[in-house]
Amino acid sequence: MAMELEYDRSLYGVEHKAGPFEITDAIIDRANSSVGETGPAFHSDEEAKKAGYRGRIAPPTLCCILVRQVSLPDVKVQFGRTQMHAGQRVEPKAPVYAGDQLTASSHLKDVYAKTGRSGTMVFVVWETTFSNQDGQVVAEVQESFAKRE
Amino acid sequence: MPYIDEIELGDEIGPVEKIASDEDVLNFCEIWDAPKPNRFTDPEIAAKAGMQGTIVPGIMTMAMMAQLLTDWGGPGAIKDLDLVFRQPVPHNRALTLAATITDIREEDGEHLVECDILMTGTEGERYVGGKAIVALESR
Repeated sequence: MAMELEYDRSLYGVEHKAGPFEITDAIIDRANSSVGETGPAFHSDEEAKKAGYRGRIAPPTLCCILVRQVSLPDVKVQFGRTQMHAGQRVEPKAPVYAGDQLTASSHLKDVYAKTGRSGTMVFVVWETTFSNQDGQVVAEVQESFAKRE
Repeated sequence: MPYIDEIELGDEIGPVEKIASDEDVLNFCEIWDAPKPNRFTDPEIAAKAGMQGTIVPGIMTMAMMAQLLTDWGGPGAIKDLDLVFRQPVPHNRALTLAATITDIREEDGEHLVECDILMTGTEGERYVGGKAIVALESR
């Protein structure tokens, strides 16, 4: 039997905007150095141009990091005590260039319960669309948080 | 970078070995001004959250997984990377990243490769797993 979940359903259909986030060289440098990213197109205009880009690009998961700066409302799920970051998805749609100004628009996608060997968990899924200064969508990001009994 | 006709179902991407040091994690957390102290860099906060030590942020493990795929397929190759953070990832330990090709198809004129991707530990821990879709060039 499906569990009747209590949470703030009025959040559905509401877009939460954030930004602009300026994609500076310093941010890309830090994203590269912290994980040992050596991809040439992520390091310089010159190398990126050789790969067919108009300038230096950000690594494809940068929007997954920026999404942490979007403040999202409490979904008020009446379940569990501890919350963890359960998963993340990114679908890059267009290159993110150094110097871009990105804006984010997030909405609640789903809240659902799942019962497995370790008991029942409730998942809260947010979906965020990142667009650049020209209005072009550059990435879709999904974040999933799990609450456990 | 391989062409689409050079790969087969079951081919493996990687494995590569990575380590996230304390310093790497501190550096990574500065990208988005993570509120401090936090469970990624402070052992006491991590202990309060029930962790055995400070952990590597899920999004940092995601950046490593993406790197495995872009090193193989090129900087713009990733179409979709969908990961589940299965268990806390410790600092300063050997992490093995690898992907296995599960499907090769053409969709809207693009040559797509689907794979299962996994980050494991030295004791068989399955830290992060998921699926990825990568676009490759044809000749």
